[in-house]
Amino acid sequence: MTAARAEIESLLRARRLDVTLTTAAAWRGTDEDRIAATGCHEVDVALGGGVRRGHLSEVIGPRSAGHSALFVRMAAAAAARGEVVALIDTHDRFDPLSAQAAGLDLARVLWIRETGNADRALKAMNLVLQAGGFGVVALDLVDVSAPALRQFPHTTWMRIARVIEGSVTVAVLLASEHVARSPGGVTMALDRPSAHAAEEWAGTTARDRRLRGLTIRPRVVSARR
Amino acid sequence: MRIPSYDDLTPSIPDVLPNEVLASAEAVLRQTGFQEPSNQSPIAVAAAGLPPEGGSHPSEVGVASGFSRKAAGGVRLLSEVVDRSPRELYAALHDNGAIDRLVAIARDFSPRIERHPGGSVVLDVSGLTRLLGDAASIADHLARAGAARVGIAPTQTTALLLARAYEGVHVAVDDAAAALCNVPLGVLQQLVEDREAAAVRPRPVRGFDVLGRWGLTTLGELAALPADALSARLGAEGSRLQRLAGGGDPRPLVPDPGVRRFIESCELEWPIELLEPLSFVFARLLDPLAEALERADRGAIALHLQLRLTDRTVYPRTLALPVPMRDPRVLRTLLLLDLESHPPAAAIDVVTIEADPAPGRVVQYSLLERPVPSPETLATLMARLGALVGETRCGSPEILDTHQSDGWALAPVAFDDRLRAIDGTTTGPASMPSSMALRRFRPPVAVRVTVERGRPGRVAIDRRGMPGGPVQEAAGPWRSSGGWWQSVRWNRDEWDVAFEGGAVCRLFQDRETGQWFVEGVYD
Repeated sequence: MTAARAEIESLLRARRLDVTLTTAAAWRGTDEDRIAATGCHEVDVALGGGVRRGHLSEVIGPRSAGHSALFVRMAAAAAARGEVVALIDTHDRFDPLSAQAAGLDLARVLWIRETGNADRALKAMNLVLQAGGFGVVALDLVDVSAPALRQFPHTTWMRIARVIEGSVTVAVLLASEHVARSPGGVTMALDRPSAHAAEEWAGTTARDRRLRGLTIRPRVVSARR
Repeated sequence: MRIPSYDDLTPSIPDVLPNEVLASAEAVLRQTGFQEPSNQSPIAVAAAGLPPEGGSHPSEVGVASGFSRKAAGGVRLLSEVVDRSPRELYAALHDNGAIDRLVAIARDFSPRIERHPGGSVVLDVSGLTRLLGDAASIADHLARAGAARVGIAPTQTTALLLARAYEGVHVAVDDAAAALCNVPLGVLQQLVEDREAAAVRPRPVRGFDVLGRWGLTTLGELAALPADALSARLGAEGSRLQRLAGGGDPRPLVPDPGVRRFIESCELEWPIELLEPLSFVFARLLDPLAEALERADRGAIALHLQLRLTDRTVYPRTLALPVPMRDPRVLRTLLLLDLESHPPAAAIDVVTIEADPAPGRVVQYSLLERPVPSPETLATLMARLGALVGETRCGSPEILDTHQSDGWALAPVAFDDRLRAIDGTTTGPASMPSSMALRRFRPPVAVRVTVERGRPGRVAIDRRGMPGGPVQEAAGPWRSSGGWWQSVRWNRDEWDVAFEGGAVCRLFQDRETGQWFVEGVYD
């Protein structure tokens, strides 16, 4: 039985029909054409090299957990590979200065600034994905309320997954809670301790206190490894 | 020698003769009692050839084989009004249509053509040997196309002189000097006077009087004179005339870029109000327009759409394209998207589309580089996004040269293949660690801050979902100010604070008003 199942799955994979498989069968691809490194070592190690192209993944977590930092790293890594990046910014939160400070080539970024209309942001993402040619396409839904997120029908995300299927694009949703991912995508959950992490602050006295940086604690919820 | 590109060139010889020349010529016509003819036609065509001495090497101008080695520098052709009979003089002055037809004939053979004074047209026919055969065959083709006088020679001057001197077709590709040997000196005089008359600063030509007194009658006799002695007697003009008598060109061929309009128009039987039926009209207009652009190896860098409406007004729209493109489907989509964002006020009666041509793009794709959206795809995408979210709300961010906190601007998207090294430095007010990114609130959110021992102790905020509460950690202040010389100025103290829930924010206090704001959340 197991052998027959493995054979069927291998046949599906050979014909690129494996996107609906839910088994964690080994996928040994290390080719850059199929995996996009995120630029975050911990995440890349957990994912076995990076995020799979042609799939919808998500980055979720509470405020200050590092959604934007992880996206900027992914975008910087993609830009360094010669790819172009699109960000659909639902609430106009992106900060180009800090992104450039993190090493992102802004000339390779298409920034779409929305004013809080998640429906329109989703349409914009659909347009970008249908145009094709982008390495990373991210939809920032971090500040969209949970009820508004739940109003999107599930077919929306299935349609998006279908649009990028087989392409070189990595579609990423940035959200505060789980939204959606395609069968081959992953959920990168970022944890944030309730109390501030001592290692994030430098200085011993009040006068020389300064913020050293945020610690990203990624946890891969669903990885097809 | 640098070969100028096609688009760098501008016609150096005016198409219209100076007013004084026109006046004198018309006076001659009046004196002879010449009547305006009812029908005019192209009068003469001639051809010529090699670049001037010391000019382009044959390999530099890309000459095809087929001619003799001497002729391999390129073969050119011209049309010429030779005899200054009243009829031809009238034609030269008034019948622009004949010259235009002659130019059209020349353009059918080569894109490198140049108009010369008196209605002459010189064109480079190098490379046509593989298509049309040898020089004689090319001349025959030109004659059959409608040119009355055709001459082919290694230099422009030789061809001009041959065309003026002989009727019909005359080919001299082997020995230009021998071909010019028996040409009367008066032909060269006419050529030089025509050039001087069309020049911006005409110079008097006196050398021919002296040459006539010396008893010279042909170009061969002039070319055979000792150069130094001729220069000693006639100066620079003598040397110039002798060089011309030998067929030497004073300058290389300067192709006429030509001004061709790519325009299509359609008058509708019934007015159109909706975009959907208009798309079919656009397709009908853009297909031949794209075909014409392709034939001319051009792309549209801008589209001018003119819609005549039922209220008798004209609704113009101009669409600037990021790169020259000629795909009719892309152009139609862009026009429709533009009209979707800027609809006309009334139904449409007449549709006119004109394209500004630009040299076509030559793109070398690579198997080793990541594909990026093509300019056509990008232009369509940006038009769609502009219609969806607004044209000013999508693009590539550019950091401005300022220390202002949120100093950036959106630039048009133009992805190139070049990878740039980003050093990770910023001109921002508070350079932050690379492990952090700020999520900005635009505009900053006003908060109430309780200050304890000179530091923020508690942050109260009225807006739901925003971070606030007791401050666990605070770092600062970092003072920033600027722009006092202009309307946009700032003067503030910045703080980094961490709340109990784990959120880390950037606060600032406006030092002029004392008001506190949350600028963003570190994420």
